[in-house]
Amino acid sequence: MGLPLYDAHNDPGPSFFQYAQSAGLSTTSSPTAAFSAHATTVIAVRYDQGVVMVGDRQATGNYIASRDVRKIEPADRFTAIAISGTAARGIEFILMAQLSFEHYEKMTDSALSLEGKANYLSPIVQRNNLTTPLIVVPLLAGWDPSHQVGRIFEYDGAGGCYERFDFATIGSGTPFAESALRLGYRTDLDREAALELGALALYEAGDNDPSTGGPDFVRNIYPMMVTITSEGFQELSSDDVAARFHAINDRRTQSGGVAGGTLR
Amino acid sequence: MTNYFYVSPEQLTKDRAEFAQKGIARGRSLVAALYDEGVLLVAENPSASLNKISEIYDRIAFAGVGKYNEFDRLREAGIRWADGTGFTYSREDVDARALANYYAQHLGDMFTEGQKPLEVEILVAQLGNKIRPTKLYRIAYEGTISDESRFAVLGGDAETIRGRFAATEEVIHPLRETLKNAVSALAGPERSIETSELEVGILEDRGARRTFLRLNDEQVSELLR
Repeated sequence: MGLPLYDAHNDPGPSFFQYAQSAGLSTTSSPTAAFSAHATTVIAVRYDQGVVMVGDRQATGNYIASRDVRKIEPADRFTAIAISGTAARGIEFILMAQLSFEHYEKMTDSALSLEGKANYLSPIVQRNNLTTPLIVVPLLAGWDPSHQVGRIFEYDGAGGCYERFDFATIGSGTPFAESALRLGYRTDLDREAALELGALALYEAGDNDPSTGGPDFVRNIYPMMVTITSEGFQELSSDDVAARFHAINDRRTQSGGVAGGTLR
Repeated sequence: MTNYFYVSPEQLTKDRAEFAQKGIARGRSLVAALYDEGVLLVAENPSASLNKISEIYDRIAFAGVGKYNEFDRLREAGIRWADGTGFTYSREDVDARALANYYAQHLGDMFTEGQKPLEVEILVAQLGNKIRPTKLYRIAYEGTISDESRFAVLGGDAETIRGRFAATEEVIHPLRETLKNAVSALAGPERSIETSELEVGILEDRGARRTFLRLNDEQVSELLR
């Protein structure tokens, strides 16, 4: 790779995506969705101090391809990005997002706004999904330093970006997770309540959706749980997450597998 | 009909060098130096937003003096090159020496073949780790590249400043002393530089992947106190 110098009229600016395309660095989408591991549940719940995200760890094709995939990654200090869909393209998508936000910051000596980051991802989702339907659908959540709130952005397959003020889910477990969230969500959730609700919604999805991995007590692999607040992206320790899923599982075991008439 | 007069290569090179040197001499100078825990970059810069010092990659920084539009374009190309290389291969494959060589080739090409030589002098600094050394690569307007292992001075008044700085920096000091010595070398005996006219950046391991840090006026004043 030579020195990438551009004239002012065809300069890709601070966008790494534009540069990668002009330099031929990124691949184009190929119709392999059916053969790649996909399917997921990732949940984002907004609460008074930020956003909680919970994601399962399973990559599923015709069989379980992996049990410890990380589907939520910090895109930068105040932003988390989660993916559902084809694993290979999802990983590239996360890498592209992480690199893009850092690239912009270095090029312009200022960080992109959270809304700027959300909008930036739209054409990438669109490009990924137009030739082959729904290869990757991301979920973006972050702490907005200029407005001092946690914000969630979800996408449709055509690249449309929508801000959600309560919660959002992506992946095949969405119907089950979303049902739990709809019943349990309150506008005055604090951190503990948001974590509890997120874990419960993921437990439901893992229980009902064959392509979502719930807590794996045998291998000690648990869903990822993170918070994004004014302190930045923080991942809960594996022990902490394990304790939360053990508690839910114990309750369910006592009640013979039913939620028991209350959301718990 | 256009007449072309013969100009000897010696004369052409001399003229171009003089032109570039004059352009560079119009701007203020810059000092880059190792301190005990990292690399310090200090520029005299009256502008708070048109930077001479920038982050390129996790352990690489850029500094330029001379014509702003020319070195800023090189800075942008450097960031693109580094991010593109890291994206294609791995983050650990991004090496300052490779980038410095590209810069040297480009400046050399512009000096001999361009409409005019670039009126810039640039520096690529790398904070070392297990696989790479800490190095300062200084690249002159005509593409001459030199690797300095202690400190480098860029700009029109480089020789005088180099002399002043070398006298105080016989050993590698902590950040505070290195910054003080660099600022007094830039200022000289007859004048002092306001904190607001200093641009300061460091490369230092702070437990994170990215090592570049731009120091603000308060941090610089505190260090100079």
